[in-house]
Amino acid sequence: MSLSRIWGLSACLLAAPALAKPIAYQGGTALMGEYGAGTMQEVQAFYAPSYRWSAGVGHLRLDAGDGAFSRDITYLRGNVLLKRWNLPHAQANVFSWGGIGSADSSDTTGRKLAWNAGGQFDYETLRFYSSLRTDWQYAHDGFSHRIDTAQLGWAPYPHDWDRLATWLVVQARDYTGGLYNGVEPAALVRLFKNGRASAFWIEAGVTIDGHLQSMFMINF
Amino acid sequence: MIRFLFAALLSAVLSFSVWANDEPRTIEMKVDGLVCAFCAQGISKKLGKMDATADVLVSLENGLVAVALKPGKDVDDQVLRDTLTDAGYSLKTIERKSETLADVRARLGSKP
Repeated sequence: MSLSRIWGLSACLLAAPALAKPIAYQGGTALMGEYGAGTMQEVQAFYAPSYRWSAGVGHLRLDAGDGAFSRDITYLRGNVLLKRWNLPHAQANVFSWGGIGSADSSDTTGRKLAWNAGGQFDYETLRFYSSLRTDWQYAHDGFSHRIDTAQLGWAPYPHDWDRLATWLVVQARDYTGGLYNGVEPAALVRLFKNGRASAFWIEAGVTIDGHLQSMFMINF
Repeated sequence: MIRFLFAALLSAVLSFSVWANDEPRTIEMKVDGLVCAFCAQGISKKLGKMDATADVLVSLENGLVAVALKPGKDVDDQVLRDTLTDAGYSLKTIERKSETLADVRARLGSKP
């Protein structure tokens, strides 16, 4: 079964299923950046007036693996926490998001109105982490790309609030619309640490093709 | 007269001492969903900004948030409940204790 099919099934089961949480905490600002093995690069900034929603801006660069085309998409986006389960030793979340922007493509002329939508389901305990995420980018008469990502993580030692947390993460990512052929697996190390005024998250690893896959996030 | 004044003073000091020992110094809260250190930063920030709060301890392993109170101060249960709920967590129990936050840290094995 392909990752797309697994994702489709999960989406049906979860209604709006999606890595890092797009909403930090009430009054929190999140800055995120990702380098996706040369295929995608994204930076985002969100402010959360409530733990239930956040809004912000982002820029996404997509490059086809064969060099056939590239997309530059700048967007406004809103994120919503649809459902949270707070359990005694676990938490699960369903997030959804959507937005509008402007896209420039190397294989078409002129800037186009672009839409984006997506969702995430995550479940984590102190030692186990899992997430399913989908991102869809669309421009009428331009392009349609979906990026589906699944992650499983394991913390090799127990960490508490005031200690450096280390996670070993395996990731599988599927791109549609000619960006990449097949599913792209990656192995990552994720570190995060809380400070007095902010929290830092960084993860880095390699894909099966030997390309760098990395991400950072700062909450303050 | 001097004996009477001394006795009264001693009595007052002892009474204050007993009262001070009974005064809650920390509030312990059991919280569900407390698993992500990165996300729980909001709890520490919110509680730490309160007038009555001297310090905050978050223990993910114990699903516990403890607040050290400034002398003579307290925080209403509903305010605590609203703060934890607004941070996205589920508050299960609230308990006031006379032990210090250092005592709570020692009991939980957390570093200061």
